[in-house]
Formats: sequence, C-alpha cells, structure tokens
Amino acid sequence: MSIDVSQVSKRFGDFVALDDVSVSLPTGQLTALLGPSGGGKSTLLRIIAGLDSADEGSISIEGVEATKLPARKRNVGFVFQHYAVFKHMTVAKNVAFGLEIRKRPKDEIAHRVDELLRLVHLQQFAHRLPSQLSGGQRQRMALARALAVEPKVLLLDEPFGALDAKVRKELRDWLRRLHDEVHVTTVFVTHDQEEALEVADEIVVINEGRVEQVGTPDTLYDEPANDFVMGFLGEVTQLGGLTLRPHDIDVSTTPLLAGATPGTITRLLRVGFEVRATVTTDAGEEVTVVMTRTSSRSLGLDQGAKVWLTPASGATTVPAMRSVASVG
Amino acid sequence: MATASAVADGRPARWRRSASSGSLTAGSSLGLGVAMIWFSLLVLIPLSAIVVKAAGGGWSTFEHVLASEQTRSALQLTVLSSLAVTAVNMVMGTMIAWMLVRDRFRGMGLLDLLIDIPFAMPTIVVGLVLLSLYGPDSPIGVEIQNTRWAVLLAMAFVTLPFIVRTVQPVLEELDTDAEDAAASLGAGRFTTFRRVILPALVPAIFAGAALSFARGISEYGSLLLISGNLPGRTEVVSVRLFSFLEGGNLAAAAAVATVMLVVALLAIVTLDIVQRRVARRV
Repeated sequence: MSIDVSQVSKRFGDFVALDDVSVSLPTGQLTALLGPSGGGKSTLLRIIAGLDSADEGSISIEGVEATKLPARKRNVGFVFQHYAVFKHMTVAKNVAFGLEIRKRPKDEIAHRVDELLRLVHLQQFAHRLPSQLSGGQRQRMALARALAVEPKVLLLDEPFGALDAKVRKELRDWLRRLHDEVHVTTVFVTHDQEEALEVADEIVVINEGRVEQVGTPDTLYDEPANDFVMGFLGEVTQLGGLTLRPHDIDVSTTPLLAGATPGTITRLLRVGFEVRATVTTDAGEEVTVVMTRTSSRSLGLDQGAKVWLTPASGATTVPAMRSVASVG
Repeated sequence: MATASAVADGRPARWRRSASSGSLTAGSSLGLGVAMIWFSLLVLIPLSAIVVKAAGGGWSTFEHVLASEQTRSALQLTVLSSLAVTAVNMVMGTMIAWMLVRDRFRGMGLLDLLIDIPFAMPTIVVGLVLLSLYGPDSPIGVEIQNTRWAVLLAMAFVTLPFIVRTVQPVLEELDTDAEDAAASLGAGRFTTFRRVILPALVPAIFAGAALSFARGISEYGSLLLISGNLPGRTEVVSVRLFSFLEGGNLAAAAAVATVMLVVALLAIVTLDIVQRRVARRV
C-alpha cells in the first residue's frame, strides 16, 4: 500500500472534519476521494500532504512513517484547485522551482523542464508568465511543476473545479492518459461523481468526516454499501421502502405481478430519447421512473394513466432507511 | 488558444488603451481638466515658482549656497539619515506588517491601531514626546538629545507607518496556496519567503520606501526640539531653509528648495527603477 491513513481525526473548533478515518490507497493507481463539499475529503488530502496536521492518527507514505514529517520532506506533489502558480515566475521557472530547491545541475534542470512541458503540451509557452495562460493551461503547468520533483505520490485537490465544463472534460481524459503514461500513485479529490466514475481506478466515498465505502467504480455503482453512496453516485428514487435507480423500475399497465405497487402517472416529461414519469402511488409516495421513449410509447403511457410498478430483476437496491427516517 | 494567447500578450490591450485616450468623452475630458487645474494650482505652479525664483539669481546663487559648509552638511545629514531610516523601515515595516497579518496574538488590534499614531500626531508633539523620554534627565537613562542619533530616531518615529501600511494590504490578499505549493516542492520557510512571498511584496515595500524617504527629507517639527539644530552637526535641511528665510535670504532658500526637489525626484525615480530590477530578477 502506498498511502496508509490510520485512525485520523481532525477538528476545526467544534466542527469535526475527519472522524477516525482509516484508508489504504494502493500503489500506482488513480484513486478518487469523492464526497459532498465540506465532507472532509480536502482535509484528508492536505493531511496526507503535510499541509495540515491530524489531531490524532498516523499517515505513512510508501512505508515511511510521515505523520510528523513537514510537507517539504514528504516528497509529495500537490496540485491546487486555484492553480497556486508563482505569479512572478515564467512557466519554465515555475516548473523548475522544485528542482532548483534540490540544487540539481542547470543543464539537467533545463532538460527536465523541457521534457515536462512537452508532456503537458506547454513547450511553446515556456517563457510566458502564468497570467498569460488560460485556466486549463495553468493547471497543466501546476501539474508539470508537481511532477518535476518525481514525487512518490501525486495529490490533486479538486484540480478541475475552477474550469468550465468543456475544458474540465478534456483535462479529465488527459489526466487519465497521463496517469497511464507516468504511473505515479495519484489521489484526487472531487465532488463530481461522473468525474470519479470516469477517471478513477478506485473510489473512496467520504461524507461527514467518515469513509462510507471504498471500491472500484463498478463495485460502488452496483453494490453501494448504503443509500448515501447509492444516492451520491447517481439518481435514485424510492419504491416500497427500497432505494433504487429510476431506470430500474418496470412499469406495466395491468397488475400482472403480485406485490406490484399501484399508482397514477402525475407527470410525464420527455427529454430527448428519455421519458421521465412521476408516479404517485396509492399510498401517496412519489416515485420517479425513467424509461426509453420507445417503451413508453409501446405501453401507451399518458398523464393520469393507472400503472403498476415493480423493481426490475437484477436492480441494485438498498433499504431506504435514512431517507424514510427523514421523511417521517 | 491562439487568439486567447495573442490578447493575453498584453500588446493589443495596450494599443487599444492608447487609442481610446486619443478620443476622450465629454465626461472624462471635464474630469481630466478639473484634475489638471487642481494639480497645477496645488503643485505644479508653486513648484515652478520656486525653481524660477532660484533660477532668477542665476547659477551663482546655487554655487554660493552649495559652497557653504553648513548647508552642504545639512543636505548630507538629511539625505543620508533619510536613506538609513528608510532602509531600516523596509525591514522593520515588512516585519510588523507580517506580524499583523499572519500572527495571532493578544493586543494585536491595539497594535494595529497604534501604528498610525505617528501619522496622526502633530510633529512638534512627537518632538516633545521624544524629548521627554530621551532628553535631559531621561527616565530610562538614554540622553541622545543634540546628537545625530536624535535625528535618526525622530525620522524613524514619523516614517514608521508608511511601509507597514503599504505592505499590509498586499500581504492580506496574498494567496497562501502558493506558499503551500512551495512547501510541497521542498522549499523551507526562508526559501519560500525569499522566492515566493517577497517578490509579491517588493512593489509595496518600495512604494512605502518612497513615501518614507520623502517624509524623512521633509521632516521639521519633530526634529526642531530634540536635534538641537547644531550647525554642521545636527541641523537638517528644513531647519537650514527656515533660517535662510528668517535672515531674509529668499534666493538662497529657493536654491536649497530646488536642490531638495531634485533630490526627491531622483529618489522616487531610483526607487522605481530598483523595484523593477528586483521584481524582474527574482
């Protein structure tokens, strides 16, 4: 295991940012820390980097006990949401910073900087100032700067959070390809489940200072440990005390199956190839159902129609404990 | 990407700005007119008058005034003391600003308030305060009245707030992420300060230094009591100038004033050039 976090707690005044968190992040993989804002994931990342200190617990990086080590001795690359560029230095100088600190020979630095700028496709901007770059370019520069010192682990704190949707998507794909090339153990923080599902080898879901679940994107999506994880990874609805995905509900216009929940379509909305129906069950529960336009047409669904709902066979379901409690 | 970088280059933006200044709107030409008249009445015309007055006596007035050992010594003392005090302020002022922004301690709010006292006090009162502490029968046993130390002390007192107040807001706005980034890249606290923080503060430090120097060479009130105004030893330019006026030697006073004007201009230009150099080098 590359990074071992063991029983880490962190409080800011009365606010508990991390509550007895233990997690192991494997070597050479791309791991996402996923969770809602304020859930503690950035704090965990900063503690791993040594930019914050844990109140309790310990951190080890590549088998080296790092809990008491200052940030500059951890050999960890860190990329910030708002780039954290050195404004008065050129792009090349920014990238060279870590190497100059390490007093590497001049020609070696020049060679390595050139290599890295090529890697992040910024070689023609070497002599620009960061203020002359776009957000996406600045973040790529920041990444090259972090990689320059050949860190044992690369930590990225919401690296694409400040970018617009299109650049975000491009950079996300690019990060995945870069990781496949460089193979450095990488951990990134995000609150965007799509980003995590698309890029990460492994996802750690963090909420309210606790780890909810650790697993591959498929595991998390198919076998969520609880309805928080399920709800965070995609759209959910409730049917007969179960939390499940709206597209995992079968609709029929006749009471074919025993145990089917009867209801009335109160709203029908077509979005492209999709039809989103809101069904109010006879018990008064509102259920969202998503199906293709074709199946909706073949059933002849319309507003006010009587339908019977059943969870599709093989659907991922979780008992809707928390949500039922909150409704009650 | 290509178009974005062309605009970001700075050249097109500058070109656009200079083009627009060629054709002012009615509102901004009125504004410019009023500003120029105000500035002329207050600054340009009186300054020109002093230069004209000095030049009226011809070059010989300058020669005569500068030939005087006493005047030269006053000029030297004033400029060198101001330089020394400004240099000290650049270090101390930055340190105090750092403390006020980055450290948390009891009484910080009070200190923040007290920094401005030298601004707010009439300078003659400053002189009185210093005299009561460092004058004859000093309660702390330090008597520096009528020495050059007194000149330095008084100047340091009245120029203290300048650099603190120019650096403080810049430091408050500074992004601490860049410092964290430097740390994660292996930089120690000193290296981070020298290579990441200081370059961002340099313009503010030098702007404050220009103000501090200007205030130093113009100081009069606080020096009057404590320096003793000993000719050739602790007499500063402003005091020398006043004695010229008292003696009715208006031409000599104007000549000294003109010399000081040149010194002030030189200082401001030099500081600006140094600041640019420093900012580029780091």
